[in-house]
Amino acid sequence: MKYIRRRLAYAALLLAAISFLSFVLLQLAPGDYFDALRMNPQISAQTIAGIRSEYGLDRSLAVRYGHWLLSVLKGEFGYSIAYNTSVGTLLWVRSRNTLLLAGAATTLAWLLAIPIGAWSAKNRGTWGDRACGVATSTLLTTPDILVFLILLFLAVRTGWFPAGGMVSLGAGQLDGWGQVQDVALHLFLPCMGLALTITPALIRHVRSAMIEVLESPFVRAARGHGIASTRVLFRYAFPVAANPLISLLGFSIATMLSASVLVEVMLSWPGLGPLLVEAIFARDLYVVMSVVMMSSVFLVVGNLVADLLLFANDPRIRVE
Amino acid sequence: MIGSTHALLRTKNLKKNHLQRHPVTNAKFAVQAFAEVNMTIHAGTTLALVGESGAGKSSLARCLALLERPDKGEIWFEGLELLSLERKALLPIRGQIQIIFQNPTSALNPRLSAAEIIAEPLLIQGRGTKAQQRARALELMDQVGLPPGWKSRTPLEFSGGQRQRLAIARALVLDPILLILDEALSSLDLANQEMILKLLTDLQALHGLTYLHISHDLRLVSQFAEEVAVMHQGRIVEHADVATIFAEPKHPYTQELLMAMPTLQSICQERFA
Amino acid sequence: MKQQHKLRVAIILLVGFQLLILFAGFFAPYSSTAQDRRSPFAPPTPLHFFDAQGEFHARPFVYGLKIDPGNYGAYRIDSTQRYPIHFFTASASYKVAGLFTAHTHLFSVEEPGRILLLGSDGYGRDQLSRFLYGGQLSLLAGLIAATLSVGVGIIMGGLAGFYGGWLDNLLMRGAELLLALPWLYLLFAVRAALPLQVTQSQVFLMLVVVLGLVGWARPARLIRGVVLTAKERNFVLAARGFGASDHYLFFRHVLPQTSGVVLTQIALLIPQFVLAEVTLTFLGLGVGEPLASWGSLLSSLQQYAVLSSYWWMLLPALLLVPVFLSYYLAADALQERFKSVSL
Repeated sequence: MKYIRRRLAYAALLLAAISFLSFVLLQLAPGDYFDALRMNPQISAQTIAGIRSEYGLDRSLAVRYGHWLLSVLKGEFGYSIAYNTSVGTLLWVRSRNTLLLAGAATTLAWLLAIPIGAWSAKNRGTWGDRACGVATSTLLTTPDILVFLILLFLAVRTGWFPAGGMVSLGAGQLDGWGQVQDVALHLFLPCMGLALTITPALIRHVRSAMIEVLESPFVRAARGHGIASTRVLFRYAFPVAANPLISLLGFSIATMLSASVLVEVMLSWPGLGPLLVEAIFARDLYVVMSVVMMSSVFLVVGNLVADLLLFANDPRIRVE
Repeated sequence: MIGSTHALLRTKNLKKNHLQRHPVTNAKFAVQAFAEVNMTIHAGTTLALVGESGAGKSSLARCLALLERPDKGEIWFEGLELLSLERKALLPIRGQIQIIFQNPTSALNPRLSAAEIIAEPLLIQGRGTKAQQRARALELMDQVGLPPGWKSRTPLEFSGGQRQRLAIARALVLDPILLILDEALSSLDLANQEMILKLLTDLQALHGLTYLHISHDLRLVSQFAEEVAVMHQGRIVEHADVATIFAEPKHPYTQELLMAMPTLQSICQERFA
Repeated sequence: MKQQHKLRVAIILLVGFQLLILFAGFFAPYSSTAQDRRSPFAPPTPLHFFDAQGEFHARPFVYGLKIDPGNYGAYRIDSTQRYPIHFFTASASYKVAGLFTAHTHLFSVEEPGRILLLGSDGYGRDQLSRFLYGGQLSLLAGLIAATLSVGVGIIMGGLAGFYGGWLDNLLMRGAELLLALPWLYLLFAVRAALPLQVTQSQVFLMLVVVLGLVGWARPARLIRGVVLTAKERNFVLAARGFGASDHYLFFRHVLPQTSGVVLTQIALLIPQFVLAEVTLTFLGLGVGEPLASWGSLLSSLQQYAVLSSYWWMLLPALLLVPVFLSYYLAADALQERFKSVSL
């Protein structure tokens, strides 16, 4: 219990530090949204000053941070000047989409990695294993951008999958199930792409973790007792091999978040990625800051979940 | 003979605790390494310090070699109390007290050549020119029985026994008076042990060295010590000349140690009779 | 692959690629900015040894390109115009590493023939030349950023590991904070903090500095680990016994032990940072026109029309794979080699 409390406190501290860091960082930005307005001779300096004080942009740093933090904790992220809507609504929709994508991709990646990795470990040294090794090495050296480009290329050339967006035109007229299918169809490509960024590394780790476990004395003893191979694999070997893999889960979340920016922009998936890029171009810094905070929150929470899973899985940690 | 030779090093009430962390809860707690150590080492002799592993022998050795600081007590050497000296004043003393570690491999930097390793103390203390340092290194290699042609080889190219010779050569380079051998023979096979033992005896005669030999191997001690101090749970429980210790051990722990030491005769009787 | 061979192969590949890109001016038939409005989006030029009459020529040649009136945007080969390839020709001058000027090019064809081995982009610029020149920018960015990262990592990790205590705690908490941030988002955020209109060299500098300053966390942790074990080694203790100062111990004994980790990290970080630059430029937030970088080469692929009709625009992306492979191979080999040296 102490362990959980410690991890939670640490996560909260981390988030506070991140929030402060991003806030300070963006206050350092020279120029803001009003630069374009300032260039317009028809808008007087007073008008701009008025708008600024309306948005509270003329107070001191500490005051602004305090206000911002308070409102964030209440669930209000401020107002996006460029999108003319509350940042909160914007974030909510986009975060939901990104989480959907990331969640689906993570699931897909692990669903692929575990059987392939376990099979590779079991048939270590055979042609199949070596071929698998070559495939994972190739994928590992391929930069994400190339993987996404190839997927996009295939989509465009074959037309099997839509090359962008989350819903088709006129999807609102479909029934519930039809809408789900529509989204799933659009989800497939970005999900595949994102999963491919981490699957080869996962396969390798699963394989090495399984190999280590399969060679350990207690597994050999189980086999020696005549327990069937598959049963040994799943009920004996896997729970122990799961430990390093759960830690890997936390790490894979980080990589995936970074990769999701690119895939979302390239495949026009309406998540946090495109929002970030557009906000940078619009110099809508509150949005930028909120997106960075949001993604950090996902990361910290993801790591926390991984830590808690580890705690639940590993009896050794519980013994204090 | 005890008493007739000059006391080279004397410790008064040395005490040291180690701070450790509990592996799971991370709480700190103190473990005693040694306490109330009053020991005298006489010049020109070999004093053996025996006891089981974990009795604090290595810790004491490091404190005497000025690598660690004891928590309390005094160390008197050549009329100076070492623990009260400034870093600068301590520098020449460091050369006079040297230590040889149990594992020669870890004691030598694998990336340096033999000559560099031996000359390093001179480099650190800024003594002599480069040429002089090199000459001294070769001279010592010869003394410990290493072919001078090997001066450019790295420690990995030496065998275990040869590495220990290298470590000894390095320890000799600053003309030490006291050499602390921290289980220096324990990691060697019997043949090498004999050879290094012979080397140490020769060097002692040649340079008039004093040895503090820390060991858990009583057989070695019987060959290579004039006095023996027995350490048990961080305290010196008996200190006498080697004949007395082996023939008439007074402390119950010493008696235990001696009984646990198998002689060839008893082994033969047990197994093959 | 055997260990020594692996390292040797990796180094040969690496050096080969670096030389290719360093001497881009020599290997590239055109400059990275030379436009040719007559041949936008031209497909890769095929080389021929046999001409239309079936005659063999020892010197390979290319045919002229004519716009196909029937097909919009397509080209037809004009077999009446033959342009033999000349080697080691002197034409437009270029600078090698910004130091000295040269004129010799490995191969070229006479005007108005064009040899476009990787095709051309929307402005008629030769993709091969742009790839080679672009490599200069992208790889340089990666190299500087990686060196900076690892340099800062050595300082931080070295201090933390060597002195321990509160300094160690402070530095490692800081590192954890940095690692808790999704780095790409952070990079974007810092980019956002910079004004949109800055000169190219400023963007480049900012990019590199930010990557370096953000990326020190992981190398610092690894180096700290090595320093922690190294400073407990008996040979460090022995040197301390001779009266060595902290300064001497750190630079003579502890730091050299980190060389394995340092080199491996550099080899791993360079491709990572190159990709960061490519991603930023690809999205329009990095180095901009007319400077060529690998990112700008790929950015036109964001348009549907380009992606569907001009397949050769993908080729520069494919060429990235062997370059990165050589870095990863080197990192692998270095890791194995240093594992065997440490005791």
